[in-house]
Amino acid sequence: MTVDIEQAPPAPPRGTPPGGRVGRAAGGWRPSARWVPYLLIAPAVLAMLAVLGYALVRNLLISFQAFGRRQLISRTTEWTGLDNYRAVLENDRFWDSLVRTVLFMAANVVLIMLIGTLVGLLLNQLGRRMRLVLSISLVAAWAMPVIASTTVFRWLFDTQFGVANWAMRGLGFDGYEQHNWFGSGTSTLVIVTVLIVWASVPFVALNLYAGLTTIGGEIYEAARMDGASGWRVFWSIVAPIMRPFFLITTFLEIIWVFKAFVQIYALNGGGPDRESETLPVMAYIEGMGQNQYGTGAAISVLTLLILLVAMSFYFRLILRQERENETA
Amino acid sequence: MKRKLVAAAGMMTLTVTLSACGDDGSSGAGGGGSSDSITVWLMDGSAPEAWVSELNAAFEAEHGVTVNVEVQQWDGIQDRVTTALSEDGTVDVLEIGNTQTVGYANTGGLADLGDFADEPWNEAMLSSARVDDTLYAVPWYGANRVVVYDRSIWEEAGAEVPTTRDEWIEALEAIEANTDAEPIYLPGQSYYVLGGFIADEGGNFAVEDGDGWAGALDTRAGEAGMDFYAQLQSFSNSPTDNDEASPQQSTEVVPNGEVASWIGLGWEAAGAVAAIEEQGGEADFGYFPIPGKTADQLGHVFLGGSNLAVSERAGNPELANEWLRMATSQEWAQRYVDANSGGVVPNRTDVTAEPEAGTFAEAMVRSADVGFLPPLTTGWANVETEPNPIKELMTKALNGEDYSGAAQEADAEITARINRE
Repeated sequence: MTVDIEQAPPAPPRGTPPGGRVGRAAGGWRPSARWVPYLLIAPAVLAMLAVLGYALVRNLLISFQAFGRRQLISRTTEWTGLDNYRAVLENDRFWDSLVRTVLFMAANVVLIMLIGTLVGLLLNQLGRRMRLVLSISLVAAWAMPVIASTTVFRWLFDTQFGVANWAMRGLGFDGYEQHNWFGSGTSTLVIVTVLIVWASVPFVALNLYAGLTTIGGEIYEAARMDGASGWRVFWSIVAPIMRPFFLITTFLEIIWVFKAFVQIYALNGGGPDRESETLPVMAYIEGMGQNQYGTGAAISVLTLLILLVAMSFYFRLILRQERENETA
Repeated sequence: MKRKLVAAAGMMTLTVTLSACGDDGSSGAGGGGSSDSITVWLMDGSAPEAWVSELNAAFEAEHGVTVNVEVQQWDGIQDRVTTALSEDGTVDVLEIGNTQTVGYANTGGLADLGDFADEPWNEAMLSSARVDDTLYAVPWYGANRVVVYDRSIWEEAGAEVPTTRDEWIEALEAIEANTDAEPIYLPGQSYYVLGGFIADEGGNFAVEDGDGWAGALDTRAGEAGMDFYAQLQSFSNSPTDNDEASPQQSTEVVPNGEVASWIGLGWEAAGAVAAIEEQGGEADFGYFPIPGKTADQLGHVFLGGSNLAVSERAGNPELANEWLRMATSQEWAQRYVDANSGGVVPNRTDVTAEPEAGTFAEAMVRSADVGFLPPLTTGWANVETEPNPIKELMTKALNGEDYSGAAQEADAEITARINRE
């Protein structure tokens, strides 16, 4: 899960007028200025087309081919239509992985949003010094390279030398002498969940805090005067104002967790016995691991389609909201 | 304090990045195959350094070209070989494990080596390098596993070198009772060791079935082989979900603990000796062939080994052929065997290995006659990719799952993969 801060649009507070109108009023309208925005965005679009677009199209083409080691080395192309898709959809393992991916994603997103929101609220309440300490720890967790943190987690839960086993023994639990934390798919995914939640909470918490600073103190004061509890303040003031933030963050987290690969693969390779395989991991193991590039491509295309369907709800929400804004 | 933390985190990141590079770097780095150099891929532990440098010096003197030798790790080698063979001029000559050669020959990535057909090759090794009478690789060396034991621990326990399986178990029991050492280090997924035990019962991983192949682990032979493996493994402290390379048994396990015995290859034994000496200790190793059920029949061992092949897309096929001819000539093949102190099975009938008594080589050569090979079919390489169904089965069986049910699943997976090209 590599994420760039830039990908996340900051939650715009409601009252601000859309930027375009301001610009037009101040600068005046000139014909040459019409192309400037396109020129400015062109390098980014071109780079994306070259890097992502090309790979996407190639991937799609390969998913309609019998493409294995022999075809790769001998450079032959064998079109097989929908055979790869048929084979994947008839494979029980695909459906198991899909269910596992959805459950895993749901658990992660709920935990990330819950803990992230709580930490964000905490940031808003803390004094200056403690806030700095907490912010630094959050940024450190956020900035940690994935492979590095995954390696650390692998050792924390190591069978022979792991801190986790030592701690459990120290707390007086039985059966943690050489307990294998990666002995089952569920146990492996729980550790992956801890890892992903730990690394994703800072994003939610820091952004929520940034958003909260835009809410004026007088609103809280007024609410308190009316005798509102903390619970009520959250649901009646913070939640409605921050609704766009919660929406976009939840959907971003859904995308990121759904396509999480490194954490799962590096911790246990989708094992034991492929029990912790999510869709991206399955695509890699079938495709790269076993040289069935066509099958792997088909799985990744299906994964993309599933994500698109999930995202369509988000776009509908956004569209509806924009319409509401316009009519308001 | 914080600076230390930052430094530690930085170091770790650096290490991780570096090791990640190390993995990939090797595949792209050489890019040989120009007119004045050729690139040769050899596997980790295959060639003694002195032999390689002398050979290349001689080759460079004769042909005036540089030979870039790039040493590859076995872990993840199939991906790298596949990529290398699909690219132009990446590698000229490469070493390929004998169980994987047929699979690559079928892809069209290996050059036809018909010119080499008339050399006096070891017939058994040749079978792994040939498809339908076309030679796609030439044998380089053979090797098999023996039991390596720590003489002083065995003496302390009063254990005798066994000649049968029963005696072997008795010896391990004596070590367990009389010393603090781990009687035998045996990881849960050493599947070629298991293959030997299955071969002792007359079985194999897969059998021919009509036009294709079918997994053959859910059989009486498979279960009996696994039973004995489990019996041995119960003497080991190793987890059940790792193989001999993770952690590397020779350099990471044996030198760092009191291990009374383990099953390994010649280069592993040499690596363990070197690692122990580096720590200031002294290895006191003895070697014996894996015992069979009765004293007159040694246990079956996997006939490991490697072939040398030329890439169809070699940048410089003529020079690649010349290097191959020189490296496998009688003279250099003999020097290769000598450089290994006779610790390999020679690739040519006109080369002799005369191992000294009490060495690894002597124990190994004794059991070379009772070797077994996995099915030499194009699809076998697919079975050996991770996640390997045989390894998964072993872990399940060792963890107490019902053998037959797990073996049926493994057989289904093997059958699906082995019939894929």
